Amino acid sequence: MRYTPIMSTPGEPSNMSGIDDYRLRRIGSVADTALAHLDVEDLLVELLDRVRELLAVDTATVLLLDSSSQQLVAIAARGIEAVVRQGIRIPMGKGFAGRIAAEKRPVIIERVDHTNVLYPTLQEHGICSLLGVPLLSSGTLIGVLHVGTLATRRFTDNDVGLLQIVADRVALATQSRRAEVERVAAAVLQRSLLPARLPVVPGLELAARYVPAENGGVGGDWYDVFTLPSGWLCIVIGDVVGRGLAATDVMGRLRNALRAYALLGGDPTEVLGRLDQHVQHFEPEMMATVLLAMFEPSFERLHLSSAGHPPPVLALPDQRAALLDVPSDHPVGVPRGLRRRGTTITLPPGALLCLYTDGLVENRDTSLDAGLERLCESVVAGPVDTVCAKVMARLVGDDPPGDDIVMLAVRRQDSGEIGPLDLVVPALPWSLRDIRVAVRRWLSAADAAPRAVADLLIAVGEACTNAIEHAYGPGGGTVTVHIELQLPDVLATVRDTGRWRPPSGEGRGRGTLFMRNCSDDLRIDHGPTGTNVVIRRRLAGQAPQ
Amino acid sequence: MTAARIETSVADGSMRIALSGEIDLANAAAVEEEIREAVSHQPTTVSVDLTDLTYMDSAGVRILFALASQLQALRIVLELIVPPDSPTRRLVELSGFESLAALRPRSH
Repeated sequence: MRYTPIMSTPGEPSNMSGIDDYRLRRIGSVADTALAHLDVEDLLVELLDRVRELLAVDTATVLLLDSSSQQLVAIAARGIEAVVRQGIRIPMGKGFAGRIAAEKRPVIIERVDHTNVLYPTLQEHGICSLLGVPLLSSGTLIGVLHVGTLATRRFTDNDVGLLQIVADRVALATQSRRAEVERVAAAVLQRSLLPARLPVVPGLELAARYVPAENGGVGGDWYDVFTLPSGWLCIVIGDVVGRGLAATDVMGRLRNALRAYALLGGDPTEVLGRLDQHVQHFEPEMMATVLLAMFEPSFERLHLSSAGHPPPVLALPDQRAALLDVPSDHPVGVPRGLRRRGTTITLPPGALLCLYTDGLVENRDTSLDAGLERLCESVVAGPVDTVCAKVMARLVGDDPPGDDIVMLAVRRQDSGEIGPLDLVVPALPWSLRDIRVAVRRWLSAADAAPRAVADLLIAVGEACTNAIEHAYGPGGGTVTVHIELQLPDVLATVRDTGRWRPPSGEGRGRGTLFMRNCSDDLRIDHGPTGTNVVIRRRLAGQAPQ
Repeated sequence: MTAARIETSVADGSMRIALSGEIDLANAAAVEEEIREAVSHQPTTVSVDLTDLTYMDSAGVRILFALASQLQALRIVLELIVPPDSPTRRLVELSGFESLAALRPRSH
């Protein structure tokens, strides 16, 4: 089977001996299933051994072109392994291998000296004669294959022809194996960059789906959900133009850059503006669409900005879902210098927002408009996992996806669905802010009146401050906060496991006064195993009794 | 980490200290230090503006009491600017601060 194509290769030497013929067949069989498990480097080593046998040479080397640096990199060698170990890189046009690559034709050196090779390594290993041919894939140079001998040798046309046949085989095998390795690497990278599990955020429900394209390799679609120290929650969905490992690689960098820029503060337009500058400077060839949505700590309002990304779908309780009217600005990486626009929406309890990449709504059989229409029909203000399942079933069905698909659903929980809030934080002053952020968010989700929120923040804050200041010695400890609804009240419990020391110093008893005045009922138990503070406060606005 | 901002301005022998952000145990000492340094010019009046302070607990109130006794010794008048609907108004009222300084709804 594999013998025939070799014999029919154009330009093949006609006067091959029987032994050459047999050996050439061994080269031809590089696609053997026995070799199928090898990675590119191991496969090349195996091939190079067969080349050495075929041409009776001492060394054989493969250099592949690194397209970004336009340098040839030695990646496999037999008889002269040092070239790989030393990480030898040869610029196009320079030295022996560089000349073969630049001219895309065979080169023979009968006597190696410093004028015709770039690195001394070949000379140091006593190589006298060299023959090299280009590795071509559909006419494009992908590398160089060369062989060398320790004794002077005059390479014949027959040798050149044989080596070129081998080179074509090597090019083919390398290219397909590389493509496969890249595909797998991109898929692994993509999986590793997408959140393994979404953060658990009291008051919000989150679900996501990611399906890579079935042929043509994974792309640069991504999503990300993270909180900021300020208590804001960021939701990102993006799509890097392009496919394969390169797109996935850029996606990873953009994801991290966006996280870092979000940490600097500012609204979505500012964060996307910074990302835009980043892409234009560091990834000048790249372009990506990104939608950034930032929840205020209370989750009541959502700030959005879109860099050319399809608009999200908003479903309000008991209403038909519709595309959200977010102005679509230029993608990141496009030098426009225009101001980015932002939108702020109110997300009432129970409302659901669906973000996605174009692969979900655009495919071979469906127009974009039809896809969006179908998406709006499928999205409801319901449980996020059910919505994801329904959307994927309606829009993707049994078809193999031709493009990456990412969808993310976020729903603000109704006050009735709010589970208890449980926090365990180190008994240190800087925990107080984190506690406030979490409590404020939980109370907002529970639909507490502003007055009740303010009172509970003070009461819980003072209880925690007491625990932080008085419960533990230098060894430290933890403070536990538990808050639950006992309608019409909120019940907050603050616990430490230390030994309570009475407050000392002027004005130190004021905290307890505030706690008492900010709650409808307050119980403080100092026991041998710690202090337990239970605060009861009505969810509604009226002042405590 | 809890963050607060302190801005000071002086006009006609009166000094205004505007606080924004949040004050709790984590940053109270730093805020107190900063205010103490700011009030070195011997003004006749110091008005502390709490309008944009979104959170303050007993650690913040303690700063105000310390400032009040310090200014009293220097015979400098202290007033607090706390609009009725501002987040810290209730705490200031609960603390009984009115006996030490005038509470004003806005700066004049």
